[in-house]
Amino acid sequence: MILPRMVLVTGATGLVGEGVLHRMLADDLSLEVFALVRDDASWHRVARKLGSLSDRIVPVRGDLTLAGLGLEPLVRRRIELQATAIVHAAADTSFSRTLDRARAVNTVGTQHVIELANACPRLERLAFVSTAFVAGRAIGLVAERDNGATAGWVNAYEQSKYEAEDLVRSSGLPWTIMRSSTIACRDASGEVTQINAVHRALRIYHRGLAAMMPGDRDNPLDVVTASFVSGAIARLTVDPRAAGRTVHLCAGRNALTLGELVDTAYDVWAAEPAWRKRRVERAMITDPETYRLFEAAVHQTGDPRLRAILTSLSYFIPQLALPKVFETAAAEELLGTSPPCSREFWLPMLMHLQATNWGHSAEKAA
Amino acid sequence: MTRNDIAKQMGPAIAGIAYAFPAGSRSIAELAGEAQLASSAETLESFGFGRVHVAETETPYELALKAARQVLAETAVDPETIGLIIYGGTPGSMSFAAAADSEGAARDLCTLSRFKYPATRLQYDLDLPNAWTFAVDQLACTTLLAAARLARSLCLTEGIERALCVSSEFFPVNAGREAIFNCTSDAACAVLIERDGARNRLVSATNVTKGYYWDVDAMRDEIVASYFPTARHVLLRTIADAGWAPDDVDWIIPHNVSLRSWEILSSLVRLPKARVFSENIFRHGHTLAGDNFINYRDALDGGCIKPGQRVVMFSYGFGAHWTGVAVEA
Repeated sequence: MILPRMVLVTGATGLVGEGVLHRMLADDLSLEVFALVRDDASWHRVARKLGSLSDRIVPVRGDLTLAGLGLEPLVRRRIELQATAIVHAAADTSFSRTLDRARAVNTVGTQHVIELANACPRLERLAFVSTAFVAGRAIGLVAERDNGATAGWVNAYEQSKYEAEDLVRSSGLPWTIMRSSTIACRDASGEVTQINAVHRALRIYHRGLAAMMPGDRDNPLDVVTASFVSGAIARLTVDPRAAGRTVHLCAGRNALTLGELVDTAYDVWAAEPAWRKRRVERAMITDPETYRLFEAAVHQTGDPRLRAILTSLSYFIPQLALPKVFETAAAEELLGTSPPCSREFWLPMLMHLQATNWGHSAEKAA
Repeated sequence: MTRNDIAKQMGPAIAGIAYAFPAGSRSIAELAGEAQLASSAETLESFGFGRVHVAETETPYELALKAARQVLAETAVDPETIGLIIYGGTPGSMSFAAAADSEGAARDLCTLSRFKYPATRLQYDLDLPNAWTFAVDQLACTTLLAAARLARSLCLTEGIERALCVSSEFFPVNAGREAIFNCTSDAACAVLIERDGARNRLVSATNVTKGYYWDVDAMRDEIVASYFPTARHVLLRTIADAGWAPDDVDWIIPHNVSLRSWEILSSLVRLPKARVFSENIFRHGHTLAGDNFINYRDALDGGCIKPGQRVVMFSYGFGAHWTGVAVEA
């Protein structure tokens, strides 16, 4: 008997995981999937979206932070026997977590996945979804390999994912590390289904509460779509050439500059007469030292709302002043295509955010 | 054209400046002890504030009159040549009340006492028979800069030879002594503008008013966020309208708000903070009446500003107004 290919996907209810499920199941009609899920409601939402594809998915309840992923012993045994690949996409992507909390999910959780993978005799691939920002405070061209830890990190998320990559590389498994850039929206339509730090920062700008940001107008700012990332993960997970490779799922040289991204946002907001009437100035892009002075002054004055805003921004905004270009040669070689240009989806994404009031209109309607 | 050639040009200029502070004053620690501050004394001291002037017995009008008399005495101009008085600051009957009586005086604004105008009384007390007299209002800390700009324009368009701009303000009794992290003084300031001056010429003036921020209490965070980008914009436009480049500016004469904010703003316009005349922030705190002119006078008297130097004054006023004036010393 030929056993069907069976993939375990963690993070299946996330934006990327959901896309990976869709692409893998659509591409391989014999494929079956175990989806590690934490709560039923999120799973039912994803299953509804997947439609008939979800018939080939077995949701299994588990928790990355628990030993053995918190799986029922029989379920775990079944996965061990059947899994031919694991796509580990689950992560705590909050930038504001303490290092201990970030590690609990992202690093220890990855160790738990590796332990399971080691018990899978049929396993052909451990596909680890990482972040391009494991590069942390590094600047310049970032290669598709382990670039070391000397630069340090902006937040605990970056560090915990770097440490997880280290575990994957030394696992002895047939791994592929896929580093995603910041996800701006679902696809070229600009639809935003999951609000992240970029969207929250844009909201602050829209509300006229962003006085300045550190960086340089010419610094590249890498953002991609979820469909690009999930499509690439689906393909590379089953690509034998990808074994032992680290790839950047990033815009790379197709990234827009910080100045272009901020100016486009301003122009979109300003096209709305009510917003234009407020005469909010364009956010200034300034040197990090001036930004730090502003940040310190606001913190010193103790104004609660503005202080909270700057604190929330502080977990990622230093990246704006750390210009980096993510190399994409390996990804391009394996995928046979150039990364998408941020220009294609940035404007539609901004218009979507504005039209839906950052998702609040949709919530209200629902 | 060299700097000396420009200095020889004639045009609307500051002929004199005088100011008056009340006799009383408080240290920041004393204000904190009297529960007059919203922030801690340590925070405000770290922002550069040391002492503020507090009117206890003096009325705003008395301070205005004192400053105006002084500028007229120092400049010794013929009173008949003053064709304009522009007053700004404490309104109507409140100008004639000491702090302890200001609540009652404020109630009197709802009576015919509303028409007891400090501006016209100044014209009478100073004996300036030819002065067209009016007041400007709702400009907060940009009042005197706006008055000077208006005087400059009227000198140019109506041929007025000299204009006296006077502002006198006290901080409302029940408002404490802090306005968005700035410690405030009571004071009056008088500026004499002349149509054909060679020194201290008013070269350009810029103002941006953003009515969206009219409600200070409700828009506090938005005001803090908008302050810097708009201030930068106004400073750069004032400099450009004067035909200068930022590097040409020898001095920024600030309104006396937190030193920290000036460090940020000078950095944003890429001017060394050493060019910001900031020593009065510690000595006087922030006056609503006319920080810029008080500072300009002190910088002249102290020999900081030399003839021909290029100076930019900047102030922000609730409401919200961002105002810049370029002066060639």
